[in-house]
Amino acid sequence: MAKEYDLLIIGGGPGGLAAAIYGGRAKLNTLVINKGAVGGLATTTREIVNYPGYVNVTGPDLMKDFKAHAESFGVEFLKDEVVEVDFSQEEKSIRTKKKKEFQAKAVIIACGSEPRLLDIPGERRLRGSGVAYCATCDAECFEGEDVVVIGSGDQAIEEGMYVTKYAKKVTVIVLHDEGILDCNKVSAEKALAHKKMEFIWNSTVEEVIGDEEVDGVKIKNIKTGDSKTIACKGIFFWVGMVPSTKFINNAGINTDQRGYILTNEMMETSVDGVYAVGDNRVKYLRQIVSAAGDGATAAVAAERYIDEVKEFNDNISNSEKTVLLVFFDPKLAESLEFLSMMERVNGTLNSKFNVVKIDVSMKKNLFKKYGVTTVPAIVAIERGNVFERVDPALDESALLKKLECI
Amino acid sequence: MNIEKLNSTKFEEIIYEQECACLVIFFRKNCHVCKEVIPELEEMEPEYKDKFLFYSVDIEEERPLFQRFTMKSVPQVLFFNKGEYRGKIAGLAERDDIEEKIAEVMG
Ligand SMILES: Cc1cc2nc3c(=O)[nH]c(=O)nc-3n(C[C@H](O)[C@H](O)[C@H](O)COP(=O)(O)OP(=O)(O)OC[C@H]3O[C@@H](n4cnc5c(N)ncnc54)[C@H](O)[C@@H]3O)c2cc1C
Repeated sequence: MAKEYDLLIIGGGPGGLAAAIYGGRAKLNTLVINKGAVGGLATTTREIVNYPGYVNVTGPDLMKDFKAHAESFGVEFLKDEVVEVDFSQEEKSIRTKKKKEFQAKAVIIACGSEPRLLDIPGERRLRGSGVAYCATCDAECFEGEDVVVIGSGDQAIEEGMYVTKYAKKVTVIVLHDEGILDCNKVSAEKALAHKKMEFIWNSTVEEVIGDEEVDGVKIKNIKTGDSKTIACKGIFFWVGMVPSTKFINNAGINTDQRGYILTNEMMETSVDGVYAVGDNRVKYLRQIVSAAGDGATAAVAAERYIDEVKEFNDNISNSEKTVLLVFFDPKLAESLEFLSMMERVNGTLNSKFNVVKIDVSMKKNLFKKYGVTTVPAIVAIERGNVFERVDPALDESALLKKLECI
Repeated sequence: MNIEKLNSTKFEEIIYEQECACLVIFFRKNCHVCKEVIPELEEMEPEYKDKFLFYSVDIEEERPLFQRFTMKSVPQVLFFNKGEYRGKIAGLAERDDIEEKIAEVMG
């Protein structure tokens, strides 16, 4: 049997952990499923100087605080990877790599992103023998040697500067024209003036060369088309990130072309009860503080959604009177006219019915649940079960007659 | 860390004298990728009890050992059987890959 939670959070980086803190605090029965080290990308950062309240802190230390905070509110953690989701029902289903199954009333996707692989010849084969992705882990292995860095974003330039502490020389391969780096201005100025750093402009890498270990790298000038090989013992790839959202491919969640999830300002995705926060959504700033902000918003929105669904379900199954669900679109005049007609008819019948109005733009899940495809529509429900669909094309007197005999 | 640490003397003994079928993870304390791979190995170890042994080497304490296998990064999981080096997996090794490699090494 699938275990049930109120709120299930996929991913335990700063976004997921902040959501967990809010979820736990709101007394939602909350589970965080995270595949790697809790804290996500933030645990890979040696120094954080821009998280409010911490002048200087290491990534792992800050994330330990986040996790302990969530645990203090009773949040549960599971180390596993989510591989499949089914969001087509009101209860969302989730399956993990270790073949565990879960159900939840609401889901928050906080999977962040992972390094993009260039997949050029030699990259995979020589991984660990000169091809590297982590400066903290591996910079020391290149003491006194020549190293190449691919990329010019924040990570490439900042990590590249860290590598200069050990390497004899760091050569940065940059796609852009001379002087243009993708990273922030402060780092760019420092790097361009750095004695141990050199830059090769307008260029990409084509191949990593070496039998047992890296001996060099073949680069190509994209302006002239010329290729050349430069000798080095190490190559760090920092060519950007891709969102870790492959597992939601068939779940009906709208993303952009690169796989980043689209949300509104409440972090709602295109599926009711499913939210996305942090680096895996389309947004302006990808940082810890903004991931945490997203998490708070999503957890509060999810809490409200869970309440609404419960209230709605209780209202319908406990109603003494027959319930009439009236589906309408507030943007359509005829839809609104239909609503007032319904009110009049119910008034004439001495409020025989419990009329529940459902706005198409707000409650997409209910449309699916009750098989409604066009508005306006009326579904009559007794003790929680649908027993009749009323034709919305009837005029007022016909509708009155029809409803009189229900 | 629950996986038994080796120094160079123990390494010689276990790999080349006793010729154990085993894996050895080379790691560094402040390496975050190591922190993801090590728990995975810790979880797997009991399943292989007595059939395939799990060891670790802290490269800061055992530098020469690290240099001997032309390694340029951590973590790396090296596999041995019958006193022979049988290959390695570098970086963020997935459990499936490790299991597959163990099966191959045990033959
Ligand atoms: C080198 C570097 C330095 C940085 N420095 C700073 C800084 O100084 N200040 C700052 O504010 N930000 C910094 N950032 C950015 C910051 O780390 C990210 O913006 C932040 O971690 C995003 O949080 P997140 O929760 O969205 O995702 P992540 O931190 O990426 O966490 C996502 C988590 O989800 C897990 N996951 C993925 N897929 C699945 C799945 N299918 N099932 C289960 N779990 C899954 C991952 O393993 C991971 O643990 C830095 C980033 C890097 C790379």
